[in-house]
Amino acid sequence: MLNIEHLTKTYGEKKAVDDLSLHILPGEIYGFIGHNGAGKSTTIKSAVGILQFDAGTITVCGKNILDDPLACKRELAYIPDNPDLYEFMSGIKYLNFVADVFGVSADVRQERIRKYAELFELAGDLAQPISAYSHGMKQKLAIIAAWMHTPKLIVMDEPFVGLDPKASHLLKQMMREHCDAGGAIFFSTHVLEVAEKLCDKVAIIKQGRLVKAGTMDEVKGDDSLEEVFLELEAE
Amino acid sequence: MLKVLLKKQFTEVFRGYFFDAKKNRMRSKLSVAAWFLFFFIIMVGVLGGMFTAMASSLCAPLTAEGMGWLYFLLMGSISILMGAFGSVFNTYSSLYLAKDNDLLLSMPIPVRDIVGARLLNVYLLGAMYSAVAILPALIVYWITAGATAARVVCGVALFLIVAAVVLLLSTVLGWVVAKISLHVRNKSFVTVLVSLLFVAAYYFFYFKANDFIQDLLLHAQEYGARIKGAAYGLYLFGRVGEGDWGAAALFLAATLVCLVLIWIVLLRSFVSIVISSGRVEKVRYVEKRAKERSAFGALLGKEFSRFAASPNYILNCGLGVLLLPAMGVLLLVKGREICEAIGGVFAAYPGAVEVLLCTALCLLSSMNDMATPSVSLEGKSLWIPQSLPLEPKAVLRAKACVQLILSCLPMLFAGVCAACIVDAPLALRALLCVFPAVYAAFSAMFGSVVGVKLPLLNWTDEIAPIKRGGAITIVLFGSWLLCVAFAGLYLFVGYRLGATVYLALCTALFAALALVLLRWLDTKGSRLFAAL
Repeated sequence: MLNIEHLTKTYGEKKAVDDLSLHILPGEIYGFIGHNGAGKSTTIKSAVGILQFDAGTITVCGKNILDDPLACKRELAYIPDNPDLYEFMSGIKYLNFVADVFGVSADVRQERIRKYAELFELAGDLAQPISAYSHGMKQKLAIIAAWMHTPKLIVMDEPFVGLDPKASHLLKQMMREHCDAGGAIFFSTHVLEVAEKLCDKVAIIKQGRLVKAGTMDEVKGDDSLEEVFLELEAE
Repeated sequence: MLKVLLKKQFTEVFRGYFFDAKKNRMRSKLSVAAWFLFFFIIMVGVLGGMFTAMASSLCAPLTAEGMGWLYFLLMGSISILMGAFGSVFNTYSSLYLAKDNDLLLSMPIPVRDIVGARLLNVYLLGAMYSAVAILPALIVYWITAGATAARVVCGVALFLIVAAVVLLLSTVLGWVVAKISLHVRNKSFVTVLVSLLFVAAYYFFYFKANDFIQDLLLHAQEYGARIKGAAYGLYLFGRVGEGDWGAAALFLAATLVCLVLIWIVLLRSFVSIVISSGRVEKVRYVEKRAKERSAFGALLGKEFSRFAASPNYILNCGLGVLLLPAMGVLLLVKGREICEAIGGVFAAYPGAVEVLLCTALCLLSSMNDMATPSVSLEGKSLWIPQSLPLEPKAVLRAKACVQLILSCLPMLFAGVCAACIVDAPLALRALLCVFPAVYAAFSAMFGSVVGVKLPLLNWTDEIAPIKRGGAITIVLFGSWLLCVAFAGLYLFVGYRLGATVYLALCTALFAALALVLLRWLDTKGSRLFAAL
């Protein structure tokens, strides 16, 4: 679903991502872990086509992100670490904007908006301007927008930040359902307990380099993910 | 504590003088000095000079007639207006909208210190604005009538009273604005409307000021007697400047009482206003079937929504939308007289009327530059168009298209109005309609190109890309220069070709340039946008 091969990205002198390779298959929830500034967001932004990289290849559903970015972007949805949405729009206008871009029919979008807005208890606020939303409400809106066109791949940067416990639980359920239906999810997180319980596979990145990747059992063995992570960080 | 808060307030007010937001670093000492010198020149040299000239023309004739009080009433009122006009929005934003209100209220700082620091800040800024008018008035009076001890002391008292009245007015008006903004739903429309009314009133008085002063000087005694009879308080206010101890004491005491009252009211209402969310009554979402649009239609709708939602954006980049139709109507009403006047001045240049009419329309159209800051306004939400399956050229075209629509249509209307009132052959009349619209199209492309070449994405206040960015400066002044060159070239050599040929050539040239710029936007511009 998502193949990252030998990705390298530098900012000036600093190598933010150094020869990183990852393969996310259909049906997988893939966690991406690392300290602040390790290169998670750079990798994610490169994978969704909003950051140009220096070397490597990224393919989404078999299509190269550099050669055919639009085809790749049609297959994926991205939620950034900070949901800076169009504050001048109301929630419903933003959802309709995204639906228009993806060509979601009026009936289908209406049904999906109703379903997810009710699940996230956002239905009553959809007519409000986004500028009046709290961080958590913006995050919920970004999640609904991401699920709007039933993408094959969903890429999320710290998706649980700002969500209330109920919304977090709901998001985890949605992630699992999405992958059970054949989709894939690649997301970064600092909440290791969540990653441990939720992810099928996990990758740990340190100073731009991949230090460990594989199934949860392969990565953590009998230890907890937190112990493994801290151990790797200490090395 | 008050000192610390006040220092923080002033650092915020003059932050732009110390900190270069574009480069994200502190300015050099030389640069800070240059900015303050620029501020000083504007305040003292330009505004102060203007009011000194005004005071000089009023002072001698009025004091000679024993109407010094009327002189001070007039200059005092102007300085109060000047101070209140300059401070009201500052009061609103610094008292009630300050982003650190929550932070300060959560700290162990007494509310009275926070209110005190904010009020002192408003007082000092109001004093600064009003000083631009009242200080020249006092100095001119002391030079003209002589500077006795009573006049100097009472003059200083008058300055303090004026500054206090400015504080009172701007606090009350700021409070009204804050209260209104808590309840008004369509804030941007109301703000634009109020601002336009202010601007219209300003220009009305500006153009009428000379007539008013002449009338006042001619009938000073009559007006003086009327004011004295109907509003004795105003007479006493003017007497303060003349050195009347009693009037000065009375006004100082009255001002002090008002200040204490406003202090008490503010202390009581400050927290409740500050902690209210500022939201209007919640708009309930009613589910309805959405209208499907194409991706480009969605982008265009988004750009229009952004434009309509921001009073700053409308007022700084969209005044041409109103001015062009207004110009069209003006041409229909007074056009023939204007054409005769222009034709008389440029009698040696046949066709100058038509070319200069086109120049005027192009100049007005340069007030529309909404495409220029459009890329910058994406700011932190740039990830949205970049991560969605949208071609960068579609994003850029949508931005240009907003200006195209908002400029070409009013331009076409104004052009048709111009064509109706000129006495010219059909071909020239047709060009009067076509050329301005083609220029507007070129202008939209030019603005988009500069906007994508010089983006400013890391702003914290949208006014930075809208008003202060390098792109907007280049586009605005570049457009003016182009208009001047267009008219100048005709008057220099173009008239030999005749207006029809000259306008036809220019139409072709601007159309070609617009297409070249569009091509650049679709190729290099798109690559630049994708790499932002």
